[in-house]
Amino acid sequence: MRIICPFCGERELGEFTYLGDAKPQRPAADAGEDAVYDYVYLRDNIAGVISEYWYHGGGCRAWLKVTRNTLTHEISAVEPAAGAGAAKVGA
Amino acid sequence: MADFSWDIRSPLDRALVAGPYGAQGEAGVSLTEIRNFDLVQVMARRGKAGETIAAAKARLGAAAPETPKAVSIADATVIWSGPDQFFVLSKGGKHSIDALASVFAGSASLSDQSHARALISISGDKARAMLAKLSSIDLHPDVFGVGAAAATSMDHTSVTLWRGDDRNGQAVFNLLVFATFAESLWHTILDSAAEHGVTIGHSEDLA
Ligand SMILES: [Zn+2]
Repeated sequence: MRIICPFCGERELGEFTYLGDAKPQRPAADAGEDAVYDYVYLRDNIAGVISEYWYHGGGCRAWLKVTRNTLTHEISAVEPAAGAGAAKVGA
Repeated sequence: MADFSWDIRSPLDRALVAGPYGAQGEAGVSLTEIRNFDLVQVMARRGKAGETIAAAKARLGAAAPETPKAVSIADATVIWSGPDQFFVLSKGGKHSIDALASVFAGSASLSDQSHARALISISGDKARAMLAKLSSIDLHPDVFGVGAAAATSMDHTSVTLWRGDDRNGQAVFNLLVFATFAESLWHTILDSAAEHGVTIGHSEDLA
């Protein structure tokens, strides 16, 4: 498997570290225990297209948001994660 | 208060043995460690990438690379190291961190890496064949020409790799590696190069 880093170009998997699902958003401070529990522990086990975080630690050290099909490993999009670099901000 | 006497030595001081290594005959790979350089990491602050580029241009007379490239100017090389960040590699203090601090004040954060990296220059007929065993980057001249650069990994070790100006008609690959990983990577490079025959040296001159 290879990932096309938007900064570096196409690179082998070994240069990247997997974080996981990019969907969970930190709940508001007053959202309550259930929302925090959900955010910290509960994940969907998606068979299909998922948006997930990868770290290009063996390269440019940017966080990336990768859209990947868990059934085929096909990657349909890679974009910088929010805050990567000083100027580029992803969704 | 205790007195300290710091003896500044290359991280490869122990491992590097100048002279021939590996297969006999004409060396296919030439390894030269470059010592005593100034290396400053420049990282643009949030929203200040444009100002950082402008400051670099005003100071160095060349645009700092915004893609994986290395730009040579008269007395320095500016090497891309990640999004909105680059290295300034030079000698003799002209572009040391003290000299650059005021240039990037307010636009970028600087970090002195002069003693935090080892710099290895690799050339020779078999340089690319040797590197192919360590790197997954396509180093074919059609793809990785003079001035191409990459932040990548070799033997699980983060490196900054770029192609300098050709020397004697041969490609020159420059490698910056963390000081504490330099000896490990050095041995891996020697293992990879041994079959081609190696000539080893060190130099104070930036190519
Ligand atoms: Zn990258």
